[in-house]
Order: sequence, then C-alpha cells, then structure tokens
Amino acid sequence: MSIGLVRFWSRRTLAGVAVAASAVLTLVACGGSSGSSGTKTYTIAFISQGTSNSWAAQLDAVARKTAKADGVNLVYFNGQGDGTKQLPEIDAAIAQKPDAIVLVPLGGAADTGPVERAMGQGIKVILCDSTITSDNYTTLVTPHAETAAVPLAQWLADKMNHQGNLLYIGGLPGNTTTTTYDQGFNSVMKNYPNIHIINGGNANYSISTAKQLAATAIASGKKFDGAWGVGGEAVTGMMQAYLDAHVSPVPPIGGAAATNGILRLAIENKIDVASLQFPPTSSQVCIDTAVKAVKGQSVPHSINISELPQYGPILPPLDKYYKPQYSDDMYVGTDSVLTLDELKAINLVK
Amino acid sequence: MKALDRLAADFRLASFGSAPKHTGPDHAVSDPAPSAPHPARRLSSVRSPTALIALISSVLPPPVRTYGLPIGATVVVAAVVAVVGPGFYRPANLHVVMQQYAVLGLVTIGQVLVLLVSGIDLSVGAVMNAALIIIALMNHYNENLLLVSLGLCILMGAGVGITNGLLVSLRDVPPFAATLGMTACVQGAILVYTKGIPAGNIPAALRPVALDGFGIVPFSLLICLGIGLVVIVFLSRGTYGRMIYAVGRSPEVARRVGISVTAVRVSAYALCGVLAALAGIILSAYVGYVDPAIGGTYNLQSIAACVVGGVSFVGGEGKPAGALIGALFLLTVLNVTTLSSLNPFTQLIVQGVVMLVAVSLFQLVKRGSFP
Repeated sequence: MSIGLVRFWSRRTLAGVAVAASAVLTLVACGGSSGSSGTKTYTIAFISQGTSNSWAAQLDAVARKTAKADGVNLVYFNGQGDGTKQLPEIDAAIAQKPDAIVLVPLGGAADTGPVERAMGQGIKVILCDSTITSDNYTTLVTPHAETAAVPLAQWLADKMNHQGNLLYIGGLPGNTTTTTYDQGFNSVMKNYPNIHIINGGNANYSISTAKQLAATAIASGKKFDGAWGVGGEAVTGMMQAYLDAHVSPVPPIGGAAATNGILRLAIENKIDVASLQFPPTSSQVCIDTAVKAVKGQSVPHSINISELPQYGPILPPLDKYYKPQYSDDMYVGTDSVLTLDELKAINLVK
Repeated sequence: MKALDRLAADFRLASFGSAPKHTGPDHAVSDPAPSAPHPARRLSSVRSPTALIALISSVLPPPVRTYGLPIGATVVVAAVVAVVGPGFYRPANLHVVMQQYAVLGLVTIGQVLVLLVSGIDLSVGAVMNAALIIIALMNHYNENLLLVSLGLCILMGAGVGITNGLLVSLRDVPPFAATLGMTACVQGAILVYTKGIPAGNIPAALRPVALDGFGIVPFSLLICLGIGLVVIVFLSRGTYGRMIYAVGRSPEVARRVGISVTAVRVSAYALCGVLAALAGIILSAYVGYVDPAIGGTYNLQSIAACVVGGVSFVGGEGKPAGALIGALFLLTVLNVTTLSSLNPFTQLIVQGVVMLVAVSLFQLVKRGSFP
C-alpha cells in the first residue's frame, strides 16, 4: 500500500516536474529567439489594463492583431483593471526579460518605480494611453486627454450660457487619465465663475455607481443646467438617471469617450451629448512603436495620437457617428482598425 | 428581578475584562463571577467619555445594546441631515434611498446569515455581476426568456453559495479564501463567455421592479423588507435560527447535540448566494444598462452594514434586524455626503470617519465594559 502510494506520488511528482520544465522551456522560447530563417523574433510584454471592461477588451484585440501583423511574440499580462493588481504584473513582465514592454499604466505614481527598473535593465518601455510621474521611459503614446477634453468642456460651457449649476461625476481617483481629463475640464471652467460645479462624487468608471450618484444629485432638488462625467460609464449612468427620473429636458452632458451606446441613448432620447472619439486603438501605435524601438530604429519620446484621424470631438448632431449594426459597447472609431469579423469575434456586432 | 440578575452578571463579567457574548435568540449569561463592583463605585471611577458610554451601556438590556446604536446613529444622522441638508427628506430623494436600500438590504441579509455561521462571503458582488450578464445575454433580442433568465439567476446564486458552503464545510477551506476564489471563478467565467464585452440589454419589463411602486415606496423595497421579515422571524423563533446560532457559536457543541453543521453552513451560503442573485436582478432593473461590474462595492458594503449593525465576525452573534439598520445607516451617510457636494476625496474621509466612529461606539456599547 505504502509502496503504491510512493509510486503514485512519484508519478505525480515526475508529471509535475515535466509540466514545470515544459513551462520553463516555453518561457525561454518566448524570451526572444531566432527563427529558422535567422531573423530574431522579438518578445513584447503587453501589460494591459486587463480584463475589466469593454475598453480594455478592444484595446487588447487591437494589440494582438498588431503584434501578429508585425510578426512579434506578444506576452499578455493582465492588470485586472486595478492599479494595485497591475503592479506585480509589471514585475512579472520585467522578470521575463522581454525586448520591450508596452504598459497601459493604471497608477501613474505607483508604476513609476517598476518602469524605471525596467529601463535600468535595458528594456524599452512604451507607455500607452496614460503616463507615469517620471519621463524615464522610451515613448509615451497618448491622446493628451488634457487638450482633448477642452473642446467638450467649452461646448458644455457654451450650452449653459456660461452660468448655472453643473453636475460633475468624476472618474477613478489617482488615475492619470482621470486627472488629465479634469485638467482640461478645469482649464475651461475657471473662465466661467458663474458656472457652479456641484460635485456628485466619483463613479470609478462604473455605470451603476454613476447612476446612483446622479440619481441622488437629481433627487436633491437642485436644478442642473449641465453635466460632466469623466468616462463613458459616468455619462451613461447620468443619462440613465435623468431618464428614469423623468426629467425633461435633460441638460447637456459632456465628457465621455464615445461609445455606440452613448450615441444610441442620446439619439433615442434627444439628449445633447458631447463626447470624444477616443477609440481603444492606441495599442496599434504602441506595439508598432515598440517594434521600431527594439529594432533599433529611432522613436520619439512622445506621440500625440489626438492628431490621428480617428480621434477628435463628437458634437451633436450625433446621427452620422452612430452605427446600429454594432453593440452598445463599441467605442466609436474602433472599426477603423478591426474588421467586421474581428469585431464579431469580440461580441461587438449585433 | 431577572433584569437585575442579568445586570449583575454583566457587571461581573465586565470586571474580568471579557465581553458577555450575545447569543442570538436566547442569550442567557450564566456563571457569574463573584467579585462584581457596585455600579456606584464604577461611576466614581469614570474618567473619560468612552468610559461613561460603556458604563451607561452596561446597564442597558441586551436588545437595546444590540439595536440601540444603529438606530441611535441613524437618528442622529437623520437629525443632522435635517439641519445641514434638508434635501434628504424630499420625497424624490427618499425614493432614491429606498431604491438603493433594497439592493444593499438584500445583500446584507445574506451576508448576516453567513457571518452568523462564522463565515464571510466575498463572492456576492461576482454573483450580482453574473446575474446581470445572464439577464442581458438571454434577453438580447427578445424578452420572452425573461422569467427563465430570472430563474437561472437564482439557480446560479444558489449553486455558487452551495459550492462555497461545501468548500468551507467539507474541505475546511477558510471562508475568506473559498469565497475569494469563487469570485475569481465567477468573474473568469463571465469574461470567458463574454470575451470581456457583454452584449445584450436589460429588458424593459424588468425595470418596474426597481423603478415603480406604491407612491414613493418601490416594489424592490417591499421585496427586501418582506424577505428581511421572514429571515428575522425564522432566526428568532424557528429551529433553523437556533441551529444557525449554535453552529456559529460552537460547531463542536452543535455537532454533539446532533445538528448537521455542514447542512446548516451550506444552507446559509446558499441563501446568501440566492439573495445576492436577487439583489443583482433588482440592481440590473434599477440601472437599466449592461454594466458587467454592477456588483462592484457590495462585498464590502454588506460586510460594513453587518458590522455597524452589530454582527460579529466570530459567528453566532448579531441580528438581521441590526444589520438592516446598519445598512440604512451606511446608505444614509453615503446619500448625505453625496448631497453635500463636498469634494469627492473629502466625501471619502467623512464616510470613513463616520463609520469608524459608529463601529467603535457600537463595540463599546455592546461590550458594556471599560476599555
């Protein structure tokens, strides 16, 4: 009996060793290798925002497509939509010694140390969509949310005739994108002292939280002449709150990255909404830049993707931007990079 | 006379620095220690406000200690709100509070059951997310499957709860680890199935559950209070309630007297899962949009409501009514800070401080002894 048990465990141990050995071999193989033709296959660690929302899912799909097209090996690290969970993923990526890291930072300050460590080890680091509190990185690829938010905030101020109460629902405290959006918003609003900003709280990029906060603010009896939400989730939650409270007309709302769902709600309910065409396609530029960097080509320290054609403000009328064949989750402009089949594969086609 | 005996017993226990354990429906404190100081002597030794609170609370009967602070705190907050934010009492705002309370209340009732058997459930948020996904996907193109999808949500909640209960009871997995692992499994399943992008919509036929009602009282609140009442009655008067408290207090003793500890624990987790699924259905109806992270903060909020309401982490101690009052207190604080238009960062500090003070006071009152 005991001999049998020993044999059993021995077999299990051997099997475990075999699995571990194969995993190590796989990682070594992933760590940059020469193909049969003699050309080096570069490995890029993609530390994503992670499997947390549709934005990240689309960003990941674009990254995978781009890596395949560029012929590089993409190793995926899941940030799980949380800065604290992303940190160990960065360290895990550095330990793999990839040729480059493409990082979508979730915590600007917290990510700075790991990024500087990676740079110190000679790993190229491309920051995607958001930055850190240091300029010790290879390239920053960002739409410059601060300036991108300005036309939306200006539109909202104009719609409010530069006076009245403005309901503000924030994003995720400490998140760099939230901070830069706020900077753009505040740079406009400081010019209009008669606009009183009523803080409704932070929605943490959650539709449910945004709706609850907005419903509470609306129920307080205050009259709002305009509303601003950081992120598509906040704007969607606000619209739902106004519609469920049967407030008519719904005040103009600004601040979101445009999704098909926001446009649908706005069009169906005749709500004035200003949003930003800010598709999660920046990962294409990020991966391409990483490939150039590891090949020794010159890359700029900063790339402003706001200047690309798929970015820019979306102001009413919204009909020309809405595409009924796609689901609510599709960010306007994602179809400029992903084909219909690729969109279908990630549930974006009705 | 009986009250005096209990008072004396409490004093004696307090003099040994140990908390009299409130043991559910029939909390009898026996084995009095012989050297209880006289109340008058204790009064003379009071040197701080907290000690005074402890002394006052020590002469209160246990039901007052159990419910007194959550009710008192809610009344104090309500009174403060009447002065600083009269908007709270607008019917429209009360309607919103009731809508939101129905969801938190349901999750809290489930969490109480699990805490009473000395467990904890960190998977309620994931169950709520899964409920929304089931509803959204099954009703993507038509709403004929609404009832089927709702039934499936309840089954899913029960399944997750039963699995949690079995892991905790049969495999001795710590409740924290079991339910956290279950969260990862459920979230992972959602992501695998939806590929991170949940399609679908919330059926219009479901929305009246959360949005409509009698006057300002939404149907969802009636559902919550109805279930709450049933649970309160079962826990305070029924055999099941006694078994729950017995298992929470001492699984060994419960086992010796013939109670199936596994069955009781599994049933508590299963009910918690079902109630979380129901809360997810109601929250989906309330939000009206596919938000895959809909259950976001409900794990911690439900636990916080229980703690404020006097439910102990060690099991066998606390009442669902207290937890429901704790949930009301928590939601009132959240609502008032939102109405205050304070900076969101300051709002967080205010919420945190109010909760810490409430829980500290509660512990003091409950203990009924000098710190």
